[in-house]
Amino acid sequence: MNRIVVTGIGVISSIGNTVEENRMSLMNGVCGIDRIDKNFPSKFAEVLPFGQIEMSTEALQKKLNAYDSGLTRNSLLAQHAFEEAIKSSAFTTEQLQSFDTALIGATTIGGICLTDQLYEDANKGEGGSEYLESYDCASVNMYLQKRYNMHGIVNTINTACSSSANAIMYGARLIKSGRAKRAIVGGVDCIAKFTLNGFNSLFILSPEICRPFDAARRGLNLGEGAAFLVLEKEEDCREKKIYAALAGYANSNDAFHPSSLSENGDGPYLAMNGALESSGLLPTDISFINAHGTATENNDEVESKAMLRLFDKPPAFASTKSNIGHTLGAAGAIEAVFSILNLRHQEIYPALNYKDPIASTGLAPVLSYTKASVNNVMSNSFGFAGNCSSLIFSKA
Amino acid sequence: MFFIHETTCISAQHTFLQENIFPAKLNELNQPANNILMAVEPAYEGIPPGVLRRMGRAVRLGVGAAIPLLQKNTNTPDGIIIGTSMGGMEDCIKFLIQIIEYNEGTLTPTNFVQSTPNAIAGQLGLLSKNKGYNITHVHRGLSFENAVIDADMLLKEKPGTTYLMGAVDEVSSFNYNIEKLAGWYKQRPCSNEELYNLDSKGSVAGEGSAMFIVNDDPSNANAKLTAVHIFQTEDEALVKDQLHQFLKTHLGDNKPDLLLSGENGDNRLTHFYNSCEQICGPDVSIARFKHLTGEYPTTTGFACWIATEIIKRNELPQHMIKKIFRQDFKSILIYNSYKGMQHSFILLEHI
Repeated sequence: MNRIVVTGIGVISSIGNTVEENRMSLMNGVCGIDRIDKNFPSKFAEVLPFGQIEMSTEALQKKLNAYDSGLTRNSLLAQHAFEEAIKSSAFTTEQLQSFDTALIGATTIGGICLTDQLYEDANKGEGGSEYLESYDCASVNMYLQKRYNMHGIVNTINTACSSSANAIMYGARLIKSGRAKRAIVGGVDCIAKFTLNGFNSLFILSPEICRPFDAARRGLNLGEGAAFLVLEKEEDCREKKIYAALAGYANSNDAFHPSSLSENGDGPYLAMNGALESSGLLPTDISFINAHGTATENNDEVESKAMLRLFDKPPAFASTKSNIGHTLGAAGAIEAVFSILNLRHQEIYPALNYKDPIASTGLAPVLSYTKASVNNVMSNSFGFAGNCSSLIFSKA
Repeated sequence: MFFIHETTCISAQHTFLQENIFPAKLNELNQPANNILMAVEPAYEGIPPGVLRRMGRAVRLGVGAAIPLLQKNTNTPDGIIIGTSMGGMEDCIKFLIQIIEYNEGTLTPTNFVQSTPNAIAGQLGLLSKNKGYNITHVHRGLSFENAVIDADMLLKEKPGTTYLMGAVDEVSSFNYNIEKLAGWYKQRPCSNEELYNLDSKGSVAGEGSAMFIVNDDPSNANAKLTAVHIFQTEDEALVKDQLHQFLKTHLGDNKPDLLLSGENGDNRLTHFYNSCEQICGPDVSIARFKHLTGEYPTTTGFACWIATEIIKRNELPQHMIKKIFRQDFKSILIYNSYKGMQHSFILLEHI
């Protein structure tokens, strides 16, 4: 009865503004990756595909009644998912404001999503925009904390593309250690000129819609989104709807290269193996893996090798990045929600745009929507600087 | 609760790898230049020159402070836990400048890769071939405190393990500009001696790194980190109430010997520090440290480092003293308020 369970979920991505909309799109193999809004201030807007959320920043402000000075798109997307999560978990105001409710969020870009604005403010020396306090990663969670008058532990984590997987781990550990009774955990990242150019300079952006685990994959597409989960101890929420249990997790470092994974995938292997160990499950207990599967040359081959190292025969797997692109700091949390949907509805969503296996590994992802007995889902998140994390969710 | 073993610190003062920092090394203080206390960077022995050249400032400060600890084979940590508010801000803006000035052309990725806050912990993992737990907390003025909480939880989850825990932040002309525009630095040049007496808005800017080898083994430890507590509020009454509870929980009817106050000369924040002095009462000595470091989001890393030195030597540099009750420093309470929103208490004690 000491399990950490998920009592609320919220998500927004390019395939839906709510959990239900996202599920429908996943079931129907909808791809949210497309040309971006022409107003996006980058010359790549017309060249590269992105997983953009349709709702404009102004529309988000209106919908969320959020007009504070210095608010960024990142903070608004986070608020959107946060509100759905706390609503689904039936929080009381007292609980939300209590000293034992933690908020742990992740983002890699924070307020640097206002790339041009930051350039102005950092170089000017006088005047200054309304965003002076918004550029750091912490600004997102400090906004949520203030808006909902939260008093518990608040933290922001940035371990690149594994950020929100680590936020989920941190929240669970706060509960286990007694520092919090419940934790709202997740992450957000919107499409930003800064990250776009960063990934472009590393030659890992695909000019076409990404093809995770396909032999002819050409790189990743950037997406945007946010997701939050509410974590509690099972014994504290007997009356509540339980979506899934967080059965295991691990974090390790590949210690190989600042921006690519080692050939043998030590970091991914150690993260997956550590998550299994912490859950007490065997490799054969894993029904499905929501792979990191960014569709870069490096990641998909290394992740496949690491799966082959850990599993005699790797379980069914797929990457939902073929639906929404790579949402960076939000990816771990969004994919956690998708993993929970696998468990809750006993179904597996198809990978898109896959044709041929990678020659060295021969692995093929799940290609069609299937009803299946899903008991334990592993969700992988690997990032720059070698930061690798894996989570395991189990049936409620 | 856990134990602090070896430590290093790069700051605006001569604190790096000094055998005897009190009183000799800390009597001659470096003064801020244009209201910035820049770190005194060492020669960074132990970092391969090719790697060093590519490192951004924050990565250099963090890796440079940690490497001497990691090179001793007595220290093989099970993980690396870093708190940094912004990571490599200078590289971030350099990359921004590339984006704007080359109109999103073919850019060199080095600045981008170095600018991500997790580059410090990542580079440390890489250089020390450490495949263990590796994380970067970036929660502004509570980044280091979350690193402390993380280490504390890990040591309870996995008894017998050891961690490298640290705090890093850099000042560049870019984040100086942004913070200055937001009103967090003083308008007129200010010396170390004047910092607490000007009765004006803002502080002086600073930067630095502090690294700690921590575990649950008291033998040969330099100090015990008894407790950490973080919260956010703009309400002074709540800060008082939280301090009452914190002291009661961790010291019972006793008081700490010393309050190490994060007072930074910003007259908008003085009332928080005054009320904590009040709660501690007349029998507690008071010392300050921001005239040594300037203000930045992870100054509590420096505070923990110097508190460990004070406990180890049972002495306190004269210029840090605000009020002395007794020349005995077996327990130190660090209170810091970042921008009057984020607050932390850290309690350190003699073994």
